[in-house]
Amino acid sequence: MADTAPPASPPDGVPPDAPPEAVPPDAAGPQAATSETVGPEDGAPRERDVTLRMEHASIAYGDVPVLEKIHGIVHPGEAVALIGPNGAGKSTLIKAILGLVPVVRGRIEVLGRTPALARRDVAYVPQADTLDPDFPVSVEQVVMMGRYRKIGWLRRPGRADRTAAAEALEQVGLTQRARHRFGTLSGGQRQRVLLARAIAAQPRLLLLDEPFNGVDAVSQHALLEAISVLKGRGASVVISTHDLAIAHLACEEVCLLNRYQFGFGPAEEVLTPECLRATYGGHALELRGDRVIVAQS
Amino acid sequence: MNLFEPFATPFMARALIELIILGALAGTVGVLVLLRKLAFVTDTMTHTVFPGVVIGYLAAGEGGIFWGALAAGMVTAALLTLLTRRRKVSEDAALAMLLTSLFALGVVLVSRQSGYTTDLTAFLFGRVLTVTGEQLAQTALISVVVIVMLALLRRPLLLRAFDPETAEAAGYRTGLLDVATNLLVAVVIVAAVRAVGTILVIALLIVPAAAARALSDRLALIVPLAVVIGVLGGWFGLATSYEASIHHGVRLAAGGTVVLVLTGLYLLAGLGGVARRRIVRRRAAAGPLDQATAGISTGVTG
Ligand SMILES: Nc1ncnc2c1ncn2[C@@H]1O[C@H](COP(=O)(O)OP(=O)(O)OP(=O)(O)O)[C@@H](O)[C@H]1O
Ligand SMILES: [Mg+2]
Repeated sequence: MADTAPPASPPDGVPPDAPPEAVPPDAAGPQAATSETVGPEDGAPRERDVTLRMEHASIAYGDVPVLEKIHGIVHPGEAVALIGPNGAGKSTLIKAILGLVPVVRGRIEVLGRTPALARRDVAYVPQADTLDPDFPVSVEQVVMMGRYRKIGWLRRPGRADRTAAAEALEQVGLTQRARHRFGTLSGGQRQRVLLARAIAAQPRLLLLDEPFNGVDAVSQHALLEAISVLKGRGASVVISTHDLAIAHLACEEVCLLNRYQFGFGPAEEVLTPECLRATYGGHALELRGDRVIVAQS
Repeated sequence: MNLFEPFATPFMARALIELIILGALAGTVGVLVLLRKLAFVTDTMTHTVFPGVVIGYLAAGEGGIFWGALAAGMVTAALLTLLTRRRKVSEDAALAMLLTSLFALGVVLVSRQSGYTTDLTAFLFGRVLTVTGEQLAQTALISVVVIVMLALLRRPLLLRAFDPETAEAAGYRTGLLDVATNLLVAVVIVAAVRAVGTILVIALLIVPAAAARALSDRLALIVPLAVVIGVLGGWFGLATSYEASIHHGVRLAAGGTVVLVLTGLYLLAGLGGVARRRIVRRRAAAGPLDQATAGISTGVTG
């Protein structure tokens, strides 16, 4: 019976839970109609091939905008680095993509949905040193937290959950440490555990806020490896970092931020001395930026 | 000292059952208080529940205590959630003043009664020996409700305690979780107020969990340990108080004795914790480098 079904309806169609309210009122009419009628034979990239879409978004805590006119698109399998000085708004942009800080003008769309409605497909990796090292949880418990949304309230973690958690821990190379207390690991290892937790959630968009601070070369390598595996599976990644070398290594795209957007595009086009000087206000470059750029060219 | 003989009489048996239930309940919820670092908030609640207890008593006698405490506990839980969301609560002098004022209000209201000192002592330190069967049933019911709530919310509560940002990012309503937490703590305080009084209940919520934490790094062990320590504190405390009063002619208040026994258990657990860490360190020094941070789980994967 099932195999007689006509091939006209693609199994990977538009997600059924894509909410209509994600489309702003001014574009609702024609755009909504066309996206309904576009068939699978249309070779052009479709709406669902965009993981993250930011359209002239302004983001504010209360009344004062912290970021203005942020504009850009991230596709599946791509990573974008958020680069800018302290207080530029990198963490704020990540929180806005999570739907935790409001977008006051323009819009941000994740997988065609508003950020708040897309959270189940988004994973967030905080900085490990913000967490209490005395907290009595084991490494495997922390990784399992990535499965909580899928486990729900009543069920116990099942085989799928345990497999996903074990694989994620394997990917960051910490299987041996599964039963150790989280706080007994080094800073870089803790950061890897948090990445494993995010991987276990099987996200389509991964957000990392300065994951490489105080992380040694070994852990940095493990983190980058795991991130690239995730990208290979079609997930998009947003990384805020102060390290231009990481941006070059791990990310196709770079977004330069300092209240406004000073550039968004391929790393080699955006990470120019001029753009960086504009972003950092001219003086920060001598410290680190120039060296990296010299090393790159 | 006989641990069973004192409980042959019905009133002592009821007191024992009440303290066992409360010890288990407060031990469990105490772990949540410990993980969320809510000792200060808990202390605040014990202070604001006091005027509720007094007003309830003045309005409706013994039976009014529970409802007065419950009303005050709910209001405080809600208020504290709002205040703590705006941070800086622990430094807030205004809040400290409000607490003391509310407490003073309770004292003033009691002092207008004729049997003033007995009433005051009863509210502050409880009257576990006069617990009725009905109160026992009430405590048991409250415990069941609280434990079911904790069981349902355990995963979100754990994530919220460990990593609040990620909990929010994952879409959990952390505001609601915080209200639920404060309500659970308030309900335990209310349940325990008649038996151990508003002052001593804080010990019941803090000490067993802290002792259990000293003994283990694993949540799966900390919760049962806290329950056991809470229960032992109630049992040994009551037996000690009975023993001293009946056989040695020294009157020891039951509630106070329970707290002292709990403190003793905490000190023992502290010593146990030191010994545990020393053993772990010695084993680590002997074993390969990778075991250096293995903690008590060393050998499990071996
Ligand atoms: N909760 C908040 N309420 C109001 N303003 C905030 C809040 N958090 C951050 N800001 C402001 O928003 C601006 C951007 O902060 P943000 O933390 O996003 O910067 P950042 O780029 O992540 O900096 P860093 O490199 O130091 O992490 C800052 O000026 C900061 O003062
Ligand atoms: Mg930041």
